[in-house]
Amino acid sequence: MTRRPTRLDKKFDLLREKTEQGTLKAPSSNRALNKLASNKLAVLGLAFVTIMILASVFAPLVTQYDPQKVDLRMMLKPPSADHILGTDKIGRDVFARIIYGGQISILVGLGSALGAALIGVSIGAYTGYKGGWWDSTFLRISEVVMSFPQIILVLMLVTILGQSLMNLIIIFTLTGWGSLYRLTRAQMLSLREEEYVQALRAFGLNTFTICFKHILPNALGPIMVNITLSTAMFILQEAGLSFLGLGVPLNIPTWGNILNVAQDLRILQNYWWVWLPSAVTISLFVLAINFVGDGLRDTTDPTMQG
Amino acid sequence: MSADQKVLSVKDLKTYIYVNNRCNKALDGVSFDVYRGKTLCVVGESGCGKSITASSITQLLPKLSRIESGEIVYHSERGNIRIDQLERNGPEMRALRGAEISMIFQDPMTALNPVYRIGSQISEGLQYHSKNTLAQLKQTSIDLLRQMGIPLAEQRVDDYPHQFSGGMRQRAMIAMAMSCKPKILIADEPTTALDVTIQAQIFELIDELKQRHNTAVILITHDMGVVAELADHVAVMYMGNIVEQGTVDDVLRHPAHPYTEALLKSIPILGKGKQQQITPIQGSTPDPYQRPKGCQFEPRCPYATERCQTFPDSQSISATHDALCWHSEKVLSHA
Amino acid sequence: MFVYFTRRLLYLIPMLLGISFLIYLGLELTPGDILSYLLPPEAIADLKPEELIAMREALGLNDPFIVRYLYWLGGILQGDFGYSLASGVPISKLVLERIPATLELSIAALLFSTLFGVILGSISALKRGSLMDNSLTVFGMIGVSIPEFIFGLIALVVFALQLEWLPVGKRLMPGYDSYWDHMPHLVMPAMVLGLIMTAGVMRYTRSSMLDSLNKEFIRTARSKGVPEWRVNFIHGLRVALIPVVVLIGFRLPMLIGGTVIIEQVFQWPGIGDLFVNAVRGQNYPLVMMISFLSVTAVLFASFLIDLLTALLDPRIKLE
Repeated sequence: MTRRPTRLDKKFDLLREKTEQGTLKAPSSNRALNKLASNKLAVLGLAFVTIMILASVFAPLVTQYDPQKVDLRMMLKPPSADHILGTDKIGRDVFARIIYGGQISILVGLGSALGAALIGVSIGAYTGYKGGWWDSTFLRISEVVMSFPQIILVLMLVTILGQSLMNLIIIFTLTGWGSLYRLTRAQMLSLREEEYVQALRAFGLNTFTICFKHILPNALGPIMVNITLSTAMFILQEAGLSFLGLGVPLNIPTWGNILNVAQDLRILQNYWWVWLPSAVTISLFVLAINFVGDGLRDTTDPTMQG
Repeated sequence: MSADQKVLSVKDLKTYIYVNNRCNKALDGVSFDVYRGKTLCVVGESGCGKSITASSITQLLPKLSRIESGEIVYHSERGNIRIDQLERNGPEMRALRGAEISMIFQDPMTALNPVYRIGSQISEGLQYHSKNTLAQLKQTSIDLLRQMGIPLAEQRVDDYPHQFSGGMRQRAMIAMAMSCKPKILIADEPTTALDVTIQAQIFELIDELKQRHNTAVILITHDMGVVAELADHVAVMYMGNIVEQGTVDDVLRHPAHPYTEALLKSIPILGKGKQQQITPIQGSTPDPYQRPKGCQFEPRCPYATERCQTFPDSQSISATHDALCWHSEKVLSHA
Repeated sequence: MFVYFTRRLLYLIPMLLGISFLIYLGLELTPGDILSYLLPPEAIADLKPEELIAMREALGLNDPFIVRYLYWLGGILQGDFGYSLASGVPISKLVLERIPATLELSIAALLFSTLFGVILGSISALKRGSLMDNSLTVFGMIGVSIPEFIFGLIALVVFALQLEWLPVGKRLMPGYDSYWDHMPHLVMPAMVLGLIMTAGVMRYTRSSMLDSLNKEFIRTARSKGVPEWRVNFIHGLRVALIPVVVLIGFRLPMLIGGTVIIEQVFQWPGIGDLFVNAVRGQNYPLVMMISFLSVTAVLFASFLIDLLTALLDPRIKLE
């Protein structure tokens, strides 16, 4: 009996033929090509994220409607030439609300991620490098914070601090620094054993300089990836909370707040244009960020290819 | 026992590896025979194709590689089996693996599954190749471990791999390989990952098992001392070819290929003292993707001439001794 | 094993103490009279102001903070969780009523996501590079990007409102109270919650399985001549499962958090629903106590996951 040729066999035959003719291209370009192909999604994602950010920043140029303007003659009108995504329960333009809503949603996501990074990275870098008492204390604190289901901790703090945009960013920062702290700490723990750090220490540089100027830059790759993915996570959380009516105060348009009306089954079933566009926007935006994050991970960490 | 009973013959075997969208001719026409109850040592530098030879025989090649041409014939009691024509992980191939041809790998630390008990891993092959009850299987595992010289085998059989030392794990691997009393045992650098003191014990064990069960052994190594000690036949590999093969005496005492000669000169011999002259092989192994046109050793060879630009034919030195070199006569007389 | 078990259990105690302290701090700091949390409303209703003051003294509310905390903790250990501000009903009673619904939902989602995540992830890894693998990867990426409530809303529109295959939500309709009667109600919330988690489990199983299939012991198993399914599943998947179980443990808080929103979408009368209503009504004691209980649940569940990991991985017991 003989073996059946498979898909791989065909590929092998081709490679072998090319090799024998000496027409095979240099292998390095192939690998780079592969990487680029896998990053196509990341490039696409980046483009989408950039467009969305630009659109919300320059919202007045994108739409002439005021997202807050109530027009009771135009209630729940389906998409038309005037209102490309229709109007909501009190006649506000849905498209304008999504574009303006992006401002707040992206602000909350990015702001919280950067806040969490500031806290998590600085504590993680310093205590991770120093070790000792401070390190174990913060490790414990992060364990306590991270064992709470995040949404429960956030809602608990919302009850205590009250519902406002600023409070929400502060609460997200306070509840979300744990994973960045853990990541930075882990990076520091391994990097501080490197030879060059021993050398710097032997030169008598102070801890602060070694830690933030010499070690931290080497750990930036995974940290950037994590900040990107955290942004996506916070946008999802804002949406979830606002959907419940407990996130950003309802009078400010955000992607989540637009969806708040979908709790009403009547709207959900009959007036899809009120909630579906915002739902799609959130999902696409988060998907795009995730693609960027994955792309970044592939370029910063060669072992993660698979 | 007939003295020269072939159990395996390999003829002009070509195995290519296709990693990173390139074609590496890892084995480019390899032929040799393996005899019952004899040890064939395959020696050579790393990357010369030793391990690919071993995994070609059991078809345990990496996914992106393929046997291109040539024959691997297993002379079983039921007749000859063309291994190269069997489906890679198909039933016929699996019926041979473990039962008739078994393997021992380089690193016993990673070759055992960490989550299963030693005993069950030893008898796993037996479970598929024969009809046994669970109690019988366990008893066989214990007996095997004891034969491999592991003390308190009744207790150790229930241990997990991480509870074994490196040497013990390799003994367990050997027990596993011997569990179905195979006709051929392939050991792929079985001691590279072990302490020097343990190495000799492992080789002794393999040799003892070979004699007891009349198993044919293919031992892959780069240790010339081991070759002198254990081998009946030797095959020297370089860049995917067997450049010289013959009996131990033939190859070690009368090298007919410049590479073998250089290899032997480059190794210190224990007990000869500080006076001995060690000559390293000049140059370095060529890139497998940019091979020399003719003889693969030509760029590094002190005997090289114009003629070496064409690939040499196999030169028969004696009935048992071949070399892949245009100048083998010259090399022979030189030594 | 026993040593490992006790050490892990003992480790929970300082964690729980720390968390309970924070919770009590929150209880004291939130606006409102703590007396109305500590006592049933009928006990306070008829009291005169001077009696209230005496009551404060008797309850130790004028004692130092740490003493008050210990009293409160003692109460918790005896099952006294205080009273809800809104209804005056004991919190323990409110919570107990709601626990079955939430457990039902989260366990169904956990089983669903683990089962499908592991199966799809293994297939993806075994058929690496195939059309199947690529589409599963895209599905996984989408799964982790769509918020669960949007998923829920779409499911609601499609399956309940348009196709009318499944009920809109709510656990029980009047007159139907056998266990099987509410299965149709459970399907959608559990699937939605489960599908989101499936995506994560699948992505992780795939990479863990690829890792494990590249290990040496896979070649050893093949060299014994055992069938491919045994090589892939008994050897490959079995080892790949260990990190997957650890991941599932890490994601338990996510599961509990997920129930909060999903219960709202499907009007499922569980703890999450109770919690959101308490937050909306500024019912601080109830918010705090549910938070405390959910952390405790997460900690114990991760403890169980740790034990499961130890059972799966013989190397752990020695450490």
